[in-house]
Amino acid sequence: MQDHTTEQELKDRLSLIESMISAGRRNTESWGWTFVLWGVVYYLAIAWSAWGHGVWAWPVTISIAVIVTVVVASLKGGKHPETTLGRAIGSIWTALGISMFLLFLALGLSGRLTDQHLFVAVISAILGMANGASALILRWKVQFACAVVWWVAAVITCFGTDAQSMIVFLVAIFLCQIVFGIYGMIAEAQERKRRGPIHA
Amino acid sequence: MPDLPELNPVVHGRLRLALLSLLSGVEKAEFTWLRAKTESTDGNLGAQLLKLEEAGYVAVEKKFVLRKPQTLYRITETGRQALTEYVQALKQLLGPAIDA
Repeated sequence: MQDHTTEQELKDRLSLIESMISAGRRNTESWGWTFVLWGVVYYLAIAWSAWGHGVWAWPVTISIAVIVTVVVASLKGGKHPETTLGRAIGSIWTALGISMFLLFLALGLSGRLTDQHLFVAVISAILGMANGASALILRWKVQFACAVVWWVAAVITCFGTDAQSMIVFLVAIFLCQIVFGIYGMIAEAQERKRRGPIHA
Repeated sequence: MPDLPELNPVVHGRLRLALLSLLSGVEKAEFTWLRAKTESTDGNLGAQLLKLEEAGYVAVEKKFVLRKPQTLYRITETGRQALTEYVQALKQLLGPAIDA
């Protein structure tokens, strides 16, 4: 066989193996849409709270976001293979979703969602933990930068004024949810375009 | 001069090689995921997976999830061994040109 096989073809095969193994292991980028969705959800909840329905804003928007995420993820389910890495990352974000759902539902319904500083600190710390754990597992520097932004936001909000706390929260949402989510989607699209179709 | 190794023709096919490489990094994967990653057609993908299955390199599992049929593929030990041997043969054939 190798009599008819050029050196370039052999190199192409080697590079194909590397790119496919890497493509099989890298699945987080296809979740870019969830970061954007949750970023929008946070903005909606903040706007709704500011409008004067603080008790219901967070529990309702978080509940709707959880349902939308579960439904869309199950529809896209076929796009994700079973890997130990995937299960580890999935477990972190599932646990985060459950924690936020229960926490904000309970805080909202009990009427104790009143201290903005504490609220922003808790949500930022939780998101920093999830992003940090995910970034360390994936060795993904961009996501780790997001974790750092959330941790910084969690600390700053404890010391600043109400307005400063809200600005920090809005900026962190923009950078770590909207920008990072769009970056993930673009990276996935570029990877797909670069690889192109593989013929027999 | 040492004998040059033969490249396994079943593994050498571009799409089959891509499929084995993809499956080597996951526990199991759905047909739709393999199709998305390779951007191949259903017919072509199905035919190449069948060849790999016939060679004993991949195992197929069919089940129903929420009443929808789901076909899962995983690489077998024989398949993993064949891929490893193919990579070794490839490296041997390329020799110093591997870094060029």
